[in-house]
Amino acid sequence: MNFLQVLIDNLRKGPATEPFPFGDASTPAAYRGRVAIDQDACVGCRMCEHVCAGGAIRFAEDNEALHLVIWHNTCVSCGLCAVYCPTKAITLTNNWHVSHRQEDKYKQVDHVTIPYSACTSCGVVFLKAQDPLMQLAYKTVGANETRLRDLCPDCRRVESSRGARP
Amino acid sequence: MTRTFDIPIGPLHVALEEPMYFKVGVEGETITALDLYAGHVHRGIEYLTAKRNIYQNMVLLEHVCSLCSNSHPETFAMTLEAIAGIEVPPRAHYLRMIADEIKRTASHMFNVAILAHIIGFDSLFMHVMQAREIMQDVKETIFGNRMDIAANIIGGVRYDLDATSIAFLLNQLDQLEPVLRDEIIPIYATNRSVLSRTKGIGHISRADCVDYGLMGPTARGSGLAYDVRQVAPYSAYGEIEFEAQSLPDGDVWSRAMVRLKEALSSIAILRECVRRLPPGPISAGPLPRIPAGEAIAKTEAPRGELVYYVTTDGTDVPARVRCRVPSYMNWEALKVMMKGGHVSDIPLIVNSIDPCVSCTER
Ligand code: SF4
Ligand code: SF4
Repeated sequence: MNFLQVLIDNLRKGPATEPFPFGDASTPAAYRGRVAIDQDACVGCRMCEHVCAGGAIRFAEDNEALHLVIWHNTCVSCGLCAVYCPTKAITLTNNWHVSHRQEDKYKQVDHVTIPYSACTSCGVVFLKAQDPLMQLAYKTVGANETRLRDLCPDCRRVESSRGARP
Repeated sequence: MTRTFDIPIGPLHVALEEPMYFKVGVEGETITALDLYAGHVHRGIEYLTAKRNIYQNMVLLEHVCSLCSNSHPETFAMTLEAIAGIEVPPRAHYLRMIADEIKRTASHMFNVAILAHIIGFDSLFMHVMQAREIMQDVKETIFGNRMDIAANIIGGVRYDLDATSIAFLLNQLDQLEPVLRDEIIPIYATNRSVLSRTKGIGHISRADCVDYGLMGPTARGSGLAYDVRQVAPYSAYGEIEFEAQSLPDGDVWSRAMVRLKEALSSIAILRECVRRLPPGPISAGPLPRIPAGEAIAKTEAPRGELVYYVTTDGTDVPARVRCRVPSYMNWEALKVMMKGGHVSDIPLIVNSIDPCVSCTER
């Protein structure tokens, strides 16, 4: 094979590189880029924190809510959170435009709040099963399930065993 | 009278831009002795595996080496599957092989491209790298990243192929195969600039390969046709027919040719895998319970035999993860390959073992 011929062919074909940043760089839909979280779908199960390889996802609690915090600059775009998230609340977008100014480096953070509820029986504050989790756990969510999920774990245990014979 | 010197080479910029320090003893232009000093980029990955759970470790181990990045988590997952007795579904086996062969093709082409760069044939370097982009696009489109393809999970894989992605993959293979078969391989086989710099350089005999425990294309370039995919088939390699590539001469050229032919054979394996791809689930379930135990597994990484040993204690954090990488033995063989060689051939010979510092030192 004559290498000159290869060179001539390549010349004829024109540039093989993408014109970025002067033109668009093609990005496949499946590209693993910046993480996005759907606040309404997140049930606060903390699975994403458990598997997060980069340690980018952290949870914090206060009296009112559970907080999911993700530091995008710590994320390695491995996608494990998306694989293991039971409700698919967390996904990887194909957005790879993550460069930012130095002074903004501590602002590359997303924050999701999952509010606690008060138990309708004893008033204790707890993390109630959110709708997406109910839909995963039950074929149909009836009145009984809805009533029970407003109770804290202790009251729920008492309530669901009420009337059961020892 | 010729004088004897010790020349320091490295730790930076020998063949690959990875740090390794060579102390080369020379007599005039001829190499008489070689010593290697490693350890510049030790990251403590084996230690870190005992600080993370098995899911995080799949990603951590993927970062042992970007070119073999499918083989490390795959082999690690195989040990856990052995410990827990997890049955990997057939479709997952085929998808694992597809990921493996895509990585192998890209890895081999990278190495032979660097060969061209070292001998100053940069237009050939560019041409091979450009052809390799076809495979890089496959990785980016199907797996979402150019290097860390994240194909495996414990018990199977986490990506699937549908009609569209299969059509895309086959189309990319149709583009790459003729370039590799009709352009790149004939150039490496016949071009005078390539032949004059690589033929008869960096010789190692088959017997020395056995003595040094060499693996992968480095050994197969000396006629030692040992390929884990054939001697101890994993995934579904036992169901697929292909020949282990080997050449008898044991020089830089033979090792490059073995890689090129393997890249071609990988394309054939890919086609066969896609053709036979069985239906069914792609993993054995999301959250495996791993009991206490120990296991060993091995695969054919692009650089040769990769062995993992794992001990677990019933939690999801492994007690010990140990890997033996093919590059480790290959480095030592440089002492044989370089003896009597020319100083100007040092980078070429180093590159011919497809050196990988990131997995050697991990
Ligand atoms: S993509 Fe990986 S590193 Fe990033 S948040 Fe998800 S699990 Fe963590
Ligand atoms: S629902 Fe998904 S995003 Fe929310 S805590 Fe669980 S794994 Fe994380």
